[in-house]
Amino acid sequence: MDIEDPPILTAVSSSARQLYLLLRCITSSTKAHVQISEEGLKFSVDEASIMEASAFLDKSLFTTYNFNPPTPQRNPQQSDDSEDEDLDPPNTTPTFQISLPALLETLQIFGLTDPNTTKQSWQTSAAFSNNVLGMNNLCRISYNSLGAPLSIILTEASVRTQCDLTTYEPEYSEDIPFNRQALAFKTIMRGSWLHDALSELSSTSPEQLTMYAKTVRGKPFFALSSSGTLGSARVEFNNQPQPSAFRTPASTNLAAGAGTGTDAGEQAPTNLLETFQLLDPDTVLRSSYKFSLIQKAARAMSVATKVSIRVDDQGVLSLQFMVEVEGGASGVGTSSGGGKVSFIDFRFVPLVEDGDEEGEGVDETMMQYGDGSDSGTGREDEDML
Amino acid sequence: MRFKASIQNITTFTKLTASLNSLGPLAWVKLSEEQVCFTIIPEQGTQVWAVLSIDSIFRDIFVQSAANNVINLEVPLTSLNRALKSALNATSAQIRLTKKDNMPMLALTIVTTASSNALPPATANNDDGFDAPFDDEFGRGNRETIVTQEIPVRVLAPDTVAGLHEPQCRDPDVHIVLPPLMQLKSISDRFTKLALADTKSGSGTIASRTRLELAANMHGCLKMSIRTDALSISSVWTDLNNPELDPSQVVGGENGIAAHPSTRMKQLGSADGRSDEGWALVRIDGRDWGKVMSVGRLGGRVIACFCHEHALVLYVYLPQDDGDNESVLTYYVSSYSA
Repeated sequence: MDIEDPPILTAVSSSARQLYLLLRCITSSTKAHVQISEEGLKFSVDEASIMEASAFLDKSLFTTYNFNPPTPQRNPQQSDDSEDEDLDPPNTTPTFQISLPALLETLQIFGLTDPNTTKQSWQTSAAFSNNVLGMNNLCRISYNSLGAPLSIILTEASVRTQCDLTTYEPEYSEDIPFNRQALAFKTIMRGSWLHDALSELSSTSPEQLTMYAKTVRGKPFFALSSSGTLGSARVEFNNQPQPSAFRTPASTNLAAGAGTGTDAGEQAPTNLLETFQLLDPDTVLRSSYKFSLIQKAARAMSVATKVSIRVDDQGVLSLQFMVEVEGGASGVGTSSGGGKVSFIDFRFVPLVEDGDEEGEGVDETMMQYGDGSDSGTGREDEDML
Repeated sequence: MRFKASIQNITTFTKLTASLNSLGPLAWVKLSEEQVCFTIIPEQGTQVWAVLSIDSIFRDIFVQSAANNVINLEVPLTSLNRALKSALNATSAQIRLTKKDNMPMLALTIVTTASSNALPPATANNDDGFDAPFDDEFGRGNRETIVTQEIPVRVLAPDTVAGLHEPQCRDPDVHIVLPPLMQLKSISDRFTKLALADTKSGSGTIASRTRLELAANMHGCLKMSIRTDALSISSVWTDLNNPELDPSQVVGGENGIAAHPSTRMKQLGSADGRSDEGWALVRIDGRDWGKVMSVGRLGGRVIACFCHEHALVLYVYLPQDDGDNESVLTYYVSSYSA
């Protein structure tokens, strides 16, 4: 069989660490779906069908990437899942599940031995050490045939580690539908700002996170508000940095939680919100999500250079993170050198608004504050908004 | 029954007791004027039979007993190690066997010089401790602190230890020089962690899932692997050294070598470690192995002898200044059945 069919996938990366850093962002559950396609490897995890996260390892991350779509006839040994076979043939992207923690641990094996090899002189001299030559992290991923284990082979100096990850049948799960055509809201900002905001809010261990977006006199306004048993807090993002020094106190007045003035406008002379599109600029977009789920994206936020926040007309939230991976392999690879960009996606199903008083209350407060600042408290805010 | 000695190398002694202590709480210590033996025989796990030349840890040793000037003691390693740790900065340390209320004790007398500013730090760091006592005795205006730590021990009668024998093992199939133990340990610890991380989803006892497979061939390859439901992972080291057997040490000389199992194993396998043949394999407990690996902190050369599916014997040679009296720690790890 090996001779007849070339392996479905052979991919070589010169930096296992790169892959590790990307995959670490989506680590939340034990099993991950892997989808192999012509363009690259997609790893995805989902949480009770209300959150899903995926990391796409583009083939440009690999120095070698060979994908041979499996032939429609499947191996006879997989007779027990005839339903899947009926479904699969038109779809030539092999999908399976693997243990994500196991994969991450494997990719990290180098993290352990690297410092040792640099420290110890039993190896060759420093000038020719594998670290200097950039050879230390060679990582080969291969998938021979449907049902075969996913093999990760890491080579370092005279140690070769091979990990065969058992591949499991994919679970039947529907993607969270996200309608790109009907976006209610879209904004782009720095990942670290979102991360800062979220860590500010997390201090009260809230249960839900509500997102507000509106346009006030043509200027974008975006706020994250958390609420839980210990209280609520809000972080606001306003575009248009204010030249006035009074701006900051005014905006802390605005923030419901006193300490939450992560008003990154101070740090950023440029526009805080790079893009700001609101389908209906006349209304306030409000959408709530489970805080603990959003928090699972925290690691991605911390490493991402940019994040695109999108909400569709159903309230489904998509967070797309652009991660610039360190150029470990850039010199060797087929890519254009420099920093390569990878994307990590998160999707969240909104919490259903029961239209109860509490929810309304939040909205009202919000509106009050908004109105208040607009009309009275600060001229500066008025200008800003 | 008398025993008295200066501790020549406190650091080594401390590290030694620390790594032995990870395998068992009690050690049988056999003292004589030629060598000192530490033996750990835990109820389960790895046995250690360490034979140290006197000068690797002691100096000016004096041993006297009715039984051929050999003293056998049962020493609690935790206490000994703790006492030695407090001696790490000592200018000199002495150990002797005493009695207190009819209880035998090992008394560790630690002399520390409180370093005043005037004192050149070199004195305190003087490893061989040659000059230090003199300086201290004649006084340089330094204050000297003497601490005595007493470790209760049990004196073992010759009859008691007569029944203890080093395990007998058949000729090993493969002998190989291991890579640096700390490197090996970091990977094996990671393997164990991987296996344990999978516990929630899988079944089976902890002991069965941290079962490492260790194999080596006569072509410089060492393989370590672990298998769980979710994965099977293995690391292969290549380009290691299989030391040549010394005909004078093998029963039957040259003929003995020709008949030696390792000679047969040389015919099998390959140097890239990809062949399935020629491996001598043992199954060991990952956590026990991690404890054995802690001897890596002594930084010695380690030769592993594999008896296929039977046992693994590790010879840890302590680094020695003079090549004459080698100190060797022998670890006997028995293999689990499949």
